[in-house]
Formats: sequence, structure tokens, C-alpha cells
Amino acid sequence: MQDKKQEPVLSARGIGLQRGGRWLFRDLDLDLYSGEFLAIVGPSGVGKTTLLSCLCGMLEPSEGSVSFKLSGTSAQKPEDLRSHFGIVYQELQLIPNADLLTNVLCGRLGRYHSLSTLLGFPKKLRQEAYRLLYELGVGENPHKWAKHMSGGEKQRVAAARVLFQKPKIYFADEPASSLDAYYAGRVLGLLRQEADEKAKPVLCVLHNAEHIQRFADIALSLNQNDPKAHKMRRVRPVNEEAEI
Amino acid sequence: MSLSPTPQHEKGPALSELPWYRRLNLLNTTLLIFLLAVIFSGSQIEGNERDLDILKNLGRFLSEFFPPDLTVLKSTGSALIETVEIAILATFFAIIISLIIALGAAQTIGPTWLVFSMRMLLNIIRTIPSLIWAVIAVAAMGANALAGVAALTLYSTGYLGKFFSEAFESVDMKVARSLRGIGADPLQSFQYGIWPHAKPLIWSHCIWMLEYNIRSASIIGYVGAGGLGLQLHAYQEFHQWDRFATVLCCILIVVTVLDFLSEHIRRRIARRDGTNDALSD
Repeated sequence: MQDKKQEPVLSARGIGLQRGGRWLFRDLDLDLYSGEFLAIVGPSGVGKTTLLSCLCGMLEPSEGSVSFKLSGTSAQKPEDLRSHFGIVYQELQLIPNADLLTNVLCGRLGRYHSLSTLLGFPKKLRQEAYRLLYELGVGENPHKWAKHMSGGEKQRVAAARVLFQKPKIYFADEPASSLDAYYAGRVLGLLRQEADEKAKPVLCVLHNAEHIQRFADIALSLNQNDPKAHKMRRVRPVNEEAEI
Repeated sequence: MSLSPTPQHEKGPALSELPWYRRLNLLNTTLLIFLLAVIFSGSQIEGNERDLDILKNLGRFLSEFFPPDLTVLKSTGSALIETVEIAILATFFAIIISLIIALGAAQTIGPTWLVFSMRMLLNIIRTIPSLIWAVIAVAAMGANALAGVAALTLYSTGYLGKFFSEAFESVDMKVARSLRGIGADPLQSFQYGIWPHAKPLIWSHCIWMLEYNIRSASIIGYVGAGGLGLQLHAYQEFHQWDRFATVLCCILIVVTVLDFLSEHIRRRIARRDGTNDALSD
């Protein structure tokens, strides 16, 4: 996938974040090319979620900068590219008092003007959203409120929402943490498929060593003791065919 | 960091008690002030100097209520309908106005200057009792049911505006922020991130306000703003207590039924919404 002549889709230069007088990470450079799957790894509390938030522009880094070069748009700053970012939050952030279908449909809010979504979403989109719910095994009752679903079901709805969004880049924070082996593989496999078939970059916080080995191209590990001792390791050789 | 203990003497450090003034937190201070106020008020308030037989007076007055004069039931019925209509319209207009004001008055949505001014406005509206609003409305619009609608609209706005803004503030903003994170505009993030969560609470307040307004609407007629109060006032003036009793019974029945219905509906809404999560599962 990686071609050095090609420009990186995401490029971070010297980013660092200080919290409570302590640096979580510093001097972090990252170039992510289209179709690459990056796993952010490290022990709990090391700052993986914080790093992902800095990269997707939800959090301002204390130093350094992040810029993007997404196809079809000249904008480089995260705030101008929001609708192209697909984000799976660690706490999922589903709308608890809305049904599963609406939750999935909300993935595309950024593509429509507020007036066209004022009275709901078109039927065609609803059908498409339902298909994704069904594929991820939560299609049985699409009209049930999200708050009444189990943790694993909610996580699959969040995955359906981000896939429905069809973003240009994925940021996923432990998208399979509450899933059983089958659905964890299914969700990560679908993200891998987005990277392989649509050349979309995926940044994913992962814990499970097997998942890292199976789905990621590169693993970026953060170090608890030394904020500058982050390591980048290629998990999968360039151009190797993905196994899904 | 060393954890080795260094005791002052063999029995360990002595416990130092808080001085009395350190125990005067806000709760204790206000409780003390309230108790002092009770003692002071008790020594100030006096009844009539004469030695009255209160129970006998009450018995004589109440005996005039019986039997209620049911011949006025028809006119009472139409006044009752008017009362309910006043309450429905007033609640409707108040909901619309309050939603707009509440958006500005919610700290999580509006800018600080707007929150401050909207809250001041709501406070001022709430300070004035419904009967005074009715006097003002009758002075401006004449003695009719429309004045009643205007009076109760203003009065309810003071309450609904406050309740709605609190409902908006109780919503976890993370969902709305996360929707902004994937490109939703402010209106969309309100519609999909805040409104679904606030809606059940807001509707529950609306039902409560409607119930409350039906009660209020039966009183504001006293100053000429239409509805049952007009009749109550007339019967009181002419000491027709048996007719007065009929009207009171009608109010009692309607309010009790409404109270029961509204309580039931609001509880069901809260359960489905999971505002009370213990009830929901």
C-alpha cells in the first residue's frame, strides 16, 4: 500500500500533550498513508485515547501539529474536515433515547444540511442503515432505543454508525473491546476491508495482541515511563494481501 | 516517598476536635436561622382577640354548602369547558415561548450574557402570582376568557422556561459534542444530540403545567378573566353557598381525574425514558 512518492493522508509533526504537569507523549511524528491500518497500543492509562483525540482534532495538542491531505478536499485542518472523519468513541456516545436506526443514520449528519434532516432521513438511507445493523447482528429490533441494548450490542451499533458514515479516514477507540471473538473479528475485519478495498486509513486503539497481528499494518506503542519512547513497528510487510 | 510512621508519642497522635464555628456549614447555619425565625414569628402572629368558637363557625358555614344546588350544573359545565380551554391554550402558547427562552437560559447552550438575562426575565415573570397577571390582563384586554389565556400564558412561561432550561442542562453534552465531531451543524447536534434526551422531561413538565393551569384557570375568573372563577365569585357575593358547592365539586372531580391521569402518564414517560433507571429495567 505504502508508496513513498504518495503524500501521507495524515501527518503529525512533533506532537505532545501535557496533562497535570506530566507529558503523556512528546515529539511524536507520524505519517499515515492511504490504506494503512495503524494500531495504537500500550498499557491502560498511557494516553492512547488522548493521542487519538489529538490526531482527530477533538483535543488540541500541547505542542506540534496535525494536518490532513484527504482526496477531494483542499482543507487540511481537522475542524474543516469533520464530516470526513469517522470516529468510534471509547464511550460510544450513542444517542440513548433514540432508536438504533436513528443512531446509525446520525453518522451521515455532516453530509446534509440541517434543514434536510429536520424531519428525519430519507427512506433509502434508512434501508441502507438497517442493512448494516443486520450485518452486525443487531438488526433484530432496529426500533429499540439504544439505552436498552447491552454493551456489546451498543458497540456494534457504533461500528455500524461509523461504517454507514463512509468517512475518508477512521479513528476508532477500542471498537471491539466488549465484543465476542466472532463480532470483534467482524468489526475489525470490516475496518480492514475499508483500508484494503477503499484505501482509507484506519487508526485504531487496540489491546488484543492477536487483533493487532491480524488486522494492523503498523503498531505505534506508547511508553508509560518515558513520553518520548514511543515506538513504531511494522506488523505486516508492505503490500502483503490482507486476510479477512 | 517514605511511608514510615513517625508517631508523636507512644499512644499515637491525639485527635484534635473541630472548634464550634468550623461546624457552622451552610446547612447548620440556615437551619438555625429558620428555627430562630419560627420562635420569633410565633410570638408575633395573633388571631382575633375575641373568644371564638372556631369549630361551630366552620360547621355552620359548611352546612350551608349542603345539599349542593345541582340546577346550576349546566352553566357550571359550560364554564368548566371554558376553563379547560383557557388552560389548554395558555399551556400551548407558554410551551412555544418557553422553548425559545429556555434555549437561551440553558447554561450548556446559550452564551453567558444571554443565560443571565433570560434567567432574570424568567425570575421576574415568576415573582408575579397568576391572580396579579390576571388583573393586569383584564385591565389591558377587558374581562373575558382571552385575558385569562394571556395571564396564564405569561405565568406558565415563568415556570416552563425554568423547567425546560433545566431539562436541557441535565442532558449529557458529550453526545452532542460527538456529533459535532463528525460534522453535524449546531441545529443537527441539538436535534439529534440534546432534544431526544430532553423531550420526555419537557413533555412531562408540559403535562404538569396543563394540570396546574386548569386549577389556576378556575381561580383567575375571580378577577374577571373567564372560566369557573367568575361563577364562584358571583355565588360567593350573593352567599349562594349551595351553588358554590356544586362548582367546587366539579373542580374537585376534574382536578382529581387530571391529577391521576397526569401522574400516571408522567410516570410512564419517566419509566420508558429511563429518567429513573431503577424503574426502567
